[in-house]
Amino acid sequence: MPIGGSSPAVRSAQAERTAGAEVEQPGRHGTGRTSRRVPRGARAERLAPFVLVAPAVLIIVALRLWPLLLGVNFSFTGDGERNGTFVGFDNYAELLNDPLFRTALRNVGLLVILLPVAVAIPGLLATFIYLRVPGHRVFRGVYFFPAVLSPVIVGAIFNLMLGFDGPLNTALAQIGLGPIDWLGDPGIAMFTVVGVHIWATFGMALVVFLAGFSTLDAALLDAARMDGASLPQIIWHVIVPGLSRTIQFVFVTTMIGMLTSMFGLLYVMTSGGPEGSTYLPEFYVWIQQGQMNRPALASAASTVLFLIMLVVGILQVSVLRRAGRED
Amino acid sequence: MRQRTLWSVVLVTGLAVAGCGSAAPTQSSSGESRSRIVVWDWKSGEPAVASYLEKAKADFAKKHPNVTVEFVAQPFDQYYTLLGAATQSGKGPDVMLFNGGGQLRDRVDTLLPLDQYVAEDRQRLAGWDAFSKDGKIYAAPVTLQGHPIYYNKTIYQKAGLDPANPPKTWNEFVSGCAAIKKTAGARCFALGNKEGFGIQFFMSGLGPGILTPKEYDDWISGKRDWTSPHVKEIFALWKKVNDDGLNNDGANSTALFNDAFAVFNTGKAANIIGLMSDIGHWKDFGEFLGADQVGVMTAPVVTDGAASVLPYDGGIGYGVAKSTKNPQLAADLVRSLTSTGALTAFYTGAGAITSDTTIDVSQGAPAVAAIVPQIKSGKPALHVALSSKTLDLMGRLSQQLLSGSASVDDVVKQLAASDKAS
Repeated sequence: MPIGGSSPAVRSAQAERTAGAEVEQPGRHGTGRTSRRVPRGARAERLAPFVLVAPAVLIIVALRLWPLLLGVNFSFTGDGERNGTFVGFDNYAELLNDPLFRTALRNVGLLVILLPVAVAIPGLLATFIYLRVPGHRVFRGVYFFPAVLSPVIVGAIFNLMLGFDGPLNTALAQIGLGPIDWLGDPGIAMFTVVGVHIWATFGMALVVFLAGFSTLDAALLDAARMDGASLPQIIWHVIVPGLSRTIQFVFVTTMIGMLTSMFGLLYVMTSGGPEGSTYLPEFYVWIQQGQMNRPALASAASTVLFLIMLVVGILQVSVLRRAGRED
Repeated sequence: MRQRTLWSVVLVTGLAVAGCGSAAPTQSSSGESRSRIVVWDWKSGEPAVASYLEKAKADFAKKHPNVTVEFVAQPFDQYYTLLGAATQSGKGPDVMLFNGGGQLRDRVDTLLPLDQYVAEDRQRLAGWDAFSKDGKIYAAPVTLQGHPIYYNKTIYQKAGLDPANPPKTWNEFVSGCAAIKKTAGARCFALGNKEGFGIQFFMSGLGPGILTPKEYDDWISGKRDWTSPHVKEIFALWKKVNDDGLNNDGANSTALFNDAFAVFNTGKAANIIGLMSDIGHWKDFGEFLGADQVGVMTAPVVTDGAASVLPYDGGIGYGVAKSTKNPQLAADLVRSLTSTGALTAFYTGAGAITSDTTIDVSQGAPAVAAIVPQIKSGKPALHVALSSKTLDLMGRLSQQLLSGSASVDDVVKQLAASDKAS
């Protein structure tokens, strides 16, 4: 525990200073005065850590915990005519019965399933850059570039590209493939949006992977090459084990990004449609609060989203902790 | 261990306070008069309405020279979200703009009834129904919003159809569409249903040609028979029009605002169910096609017994927050915003058909001159009678109808259940 570990160090330094003062004091001030000062110093010593952490605690309580509790509190009250009255778990029951919210939860599951793809793409590209494919310096910049674009801009660009009569379908038609309704087909739209999200965000994961590669022992790679290992064998038996901690870290950050940062893209590209097939919990919260004037129901939905994030977070922490123990 | 105890205390405290309080303030505040009125809308940032606001402000300043009026333009996409958050935190504006129908009716608990303040304007302005609930008025209409069917006269001419005599029946209309496709290579309808709004336009635009006058009036008054064959016909026709290739391709991924309007403007489709004000209306289309080439018609008659009329309601209107500190002042501003002088400027500047029936539009484009005389005999639009929740569901179900993943019977059943619950 970091707090437990650091406090003895603080205390011993303090104690040394106090002890030094005590050595000097008898000669100058006499023992009577010294005996009054020691407890005061000890009290300050005890209070100091609390004073030091107080600003952080206050900020966390006032700006994080209190709004969180208000949100949970609202979720047990009614909307509209029942505004202000306690309704128990009615809002949660309504959520469970709402096919739209169930779709949103299913889409969270889909994101978890697609997570390995979102990690594998930057991982593979970073591998190629590390192995110095021709033009690797250019690729490094090009791959990172979309990471600096706002989701609204990315969404607008891909709306144009993926329009039914847009350039992608025109190109497909030229090679004899029929047009695909990328954003209008409920079976495809979610994959399209996730694909665009991955395109827009993998640059950051790529940078993390490249940083991980810098810690990889090059001698191992050389040894593998000398032993005649093929590229897939090098990737599977040398690079993947060597980067296990980096891969875990990218998994965690990518998952957080997918669950919390897709709103802008969804809003611009599909607005939850078609047929509600691209709803995610945070989009549902926004619609209920803003468009349907149902703040209490929205609070219940955000509480559920918070619980999902909590579970995912705890799992991630445990994965990281396990990874730490392996070293 | 100590940390775990601390977290337990926090959690228990949280659950203990659960159920107390509410998501929105339950009481309105009142107090002494203030010399500043804050107005929220999504219009005041547009150059086209600058002269309208100038006139309204001048009118208000004449009555209340010491009061400052501050207009805060919000992005329309997030308008109701921001408004909801501001109202819940008790920091909402004094006067605010609303779309007529569900968006206003869902929020009347935060609004001041305006009946006593706007009594003098009742005759002069039209479209009050969209801003009323349970016999009380909650906002004063600024524009009228409706769904005439616009057509491209150039394409009609190319297809050998008479632009001066648009089709009166559905059969005539469909055979005209076939000619249009053959000779002009254009689709019959420009449709965008990405947001799920296309069905609202379709229901209100073609509904008067499908429901009998009695069914129509019953629908508006709340006696909606979702099992009626004519109601089912609205959704069956919606599907058939698309299945028969009368719409542009990819309707579910085409945004109505503004991609579908662009399809019409660029001559890729001969007809569009448009609007009377705001956007996608006679003036917008006239700028692309030429004012004389924009035709307008009411719904072709689809079923026997239907009598087509112009469907319209109050479009946008200003309401007053219940929490305002000076209701009289806020209501006076609403009256200035709906004064004849201001609304005339709105018509000339933005091309909106305003709620003021005394404004002379006879010198306007042929399309507007054709729409305005029909206001008197017009009826409220069908979709405006539905709650926002039902409209949201209808949007998704309409997409399912287009993709073939739901049947008309299933859609009507779900909508009936939602309508009953709202």
